[in-house]
Amino acid sequence: MARITVDPITRIEGHLRIDVEVDGGVVRDSWSSGQMFRGIEIILKGRDPRDAWLFTQRICGVCTTVHAIASVRAVENALGLEIPLNAQYIRNLLVIAHALHDHIVHFYHLSALDWVDVVEALKADPAKAASLGESLSPWPGNSRRQMEAVKAKLKEFVDRGQLGIFANGYWGHPAMKLPPEVNLLAVAHYLQALDYQQKANKVVAILGAKTPNIQNLAVGGVANAINLDNESALNMTKLFAVKDLLEEVRDFVQQVYLVDVCAVGALYAHWLGYGAGVTNYLAVPDLPLDTKGTQFDLPGGTIFDGNLAGAKAFTSFQDAYFRDNVEESIAHSWYDGDWQRHPWKEETEPKYGDFDPNGKYSWVKAPRFMGRPMQVGPLAQMLVGYATGHELTKKWVDYALNTAGAVAGTKLSPSVLHGTLGRHLARAVRSAVISDLAVKHWGLLAANIGKGDTEIFTPFEFPRGEQQGFGFHEAPRGTLSHWVVIENGKIKNYQAVVPSTWNAGPRDGKGQKGPYEASLLGNPIADPKRPLEVLRTIHSFDPCLACAIHTVDAQGRELSKVRVL
Amino acid sequence: MAPERPEGGAALVLGLGNVLMGDDGFGPYAVRLFESRYETGPGVSALDAGTPGLDLTPYLLGVSHLVVLDTVRAGAPPGERVLLDRERLLALPRGPRVNPHDPGLQETLLTLDFAGRLPPWLLLVGVEPVRVERGTGLTGAVRRAAHEAADEAARILTGWGFEVHRREIPLAPDIWWEKGRREPPAV
Repeated sequence: MARITVDPITRIEGHLRIDVEVDGGVVRDSWSSGQMFRGIEIILKGRDPRDAWLFTQRICGVCTTVHAIASVRAVENALGLEIPLNAQYIRNLLVIAHALHDHIVHFYHLSALDWVDVVEALKADPAKAASLGESLSPWPGNSRRQMEAVKAKLKEFVDRGQLGIFANGYWGHPAMKLPPEVNLLAVAHYLQALDYQQKANKVVAILGAKTPNIQNLAVGGVANAINLDNESALNMTKLFAVKDLLEEVRDFVQQVYLVDVCAVGALYAHWLGYGAGVTNYLAVPDLPLDTKGTQFDLPGGTIFDGNLAGAKAFTSFQDAYFRDNVEESIAHSWYDGDWQRHPWKEETEPKYGDFDPNGKYSWVKAPRFMGRPMQVGPLAQMLVGYATGHELTKKWVDYALNTAGAVAGTKLSPSVLHGTLGRHLARAVRSAVISDLAVKHWGLLAANIGKGDTEIFTPFEFPRGEQQGFGFHEAPRGTLSHWVVIENGKIKNYQAVVPSTWNAGPRDGKGQKGPYEASLLGNPIADPKRPLEVLRTIHSFDPCLACAIHTVDAQGRELSKVRVL
Repeated sequence: MAPERPEGGAALVLGLGNVLMGDDGFGPYAVRLFESRYETGPGVSALDAGTPGLDLTPYLLGVSHLVVLDTVRAGAPPGERVLLDRERLLALPRGPRVNPHDPGLQETLLTLDFAGRLPPWLLLVGVEPVRVERGTGLTGAVRRAAHEAADEAARILTGWGFEVHRREIPLAPDIWWEKGRREPPAV
């Protein structure tokens, strides 16, 4: 029995520590621990609810927009506000552009290196790589000339004697299996992806007035004045710039990102059995189509025990099934006490202790839905959509399974999605879905403005007394909900139940493991000193613990470690 | 003679850090001081980017001259300013790849380096933090360093040949997160 500690494991923002017990080359037990206290709730107490979104989008530097959106929705919910259509559409376009940026970065720049051996790409035949790429996709960026250029660039880089961004990777690890040509295609797309994530980000900048940390939101709507002929307002030029950018990003997502994930997944088909863990899924509907939030373009709901036939949908921003069934447990978290409570009733009393695998071992709380741990993220949303007959989801899930099946030479059914590779595939499928919806919602906004509607804001006043509200958003990493209690116009209590809390949370009072923990059980470990397989499964969730600080370390201290005991 | 903008150059003064985590808010604070204090010519922009991790890359594409304002752990006395150049930043030792390390900046620079798109001119003006803990507001020493860093950024840009002029009357800096400020808890 070996005990492996990987600390920290997130490739971005904040600290996640994973401990696994390995026996016979297989993970037998696991713990997921958040190593930093967040405490946004404490910062917000007593503030004006109209300012909350400015602060919440600073919780995490990667998930900025999503916390802003969830926050204004929570306050609007508490006040019973309806939001003008233009504001909904503008928010929807922001949400989509942010998510596309995020998903592209996650795959190419944060997690592809778990599967792609960059050094092996030097052995590739550029002509073969090009013909493989061109057989899979109409993308113009797969030509032989381009493959030759990327290979030459990579060679020059490696010949310099330092691998730069690719240093410290697990090159030559026995679990790396891709043919050199696929590795080369992936490196080429890694470089191209830089430009497409920038295009997605430009949409956020145009509509959000600034990025990162958008400035155009307001409780009650948005602050984008609409005037097609005014240079400083949201005008024709800006609208068409947004459309062009969204279409370019859509083509990259549908012709490159999704195809790459299908191909890489198919070539690692032996991994299809790993990483399922918790097969209860939770997603919330998003991209509202009306002022109240009762019709949506993205599906949400619950699935328990992997039973797609029993999926139950959430139907509105006021949904009582969602509102009444979320709780958080602190049985194994570093907070004072041992309770499981609804977010409106929570207290945040930090009480740090040591890492105790049998007691408290994480700053992350353990959220539960009807008492059950739930997996959140693109996989949850795609499964809920598939189960409830959401057409766009079905179209792209089927496309992905057919494409991957063709490469693997076998027929794949949606049941293969439960697991590590399925999370990557679902994220790419979701990107394809929302990039179609990007163009649709641009059209809805343009048509609504064309009708002469320039409404962007619903005025309101805070009533005396106490109001409770909740706002949810299906963020890139999954279901995000903000819960606010307002008293006489001031924040009395505020809780953010974030996607990585659902997934990275510790055991609860009943000893039920969280999704990260459960997903590691049964994972193979070829080399305990280089636990690549642990990283593959955890990275497939797109971990991001919302607790970022930013400090450059110029002393060269070893900041992360793999300890084998 | 007024200095001229380097031909085709694009300069960015970039503040990094979390305004909700005490002294980690140094970068955003300093960049907003810079904006309030200086008027800049063409090709110069300033950005409080928060803590974007690798999401920083799109903001640096097309930038030729970069000044980063950020906290640094260099073993210097808390509150002291630290200057790091391009070579030093790229060469900082990194842990195994599991590591976000300092979240983002170094990985962003290395990613751009591989793509051949790293800003050729790059300096980091940092400060050794005193207190990085939940709560808005800088400690006195880091606040002083932020004022100095804003001026330092202006001097660096001028040295590179960009137009930067001190405003006769500075604007009010937009430090919105300190309105109704709550002190970080005692150490």
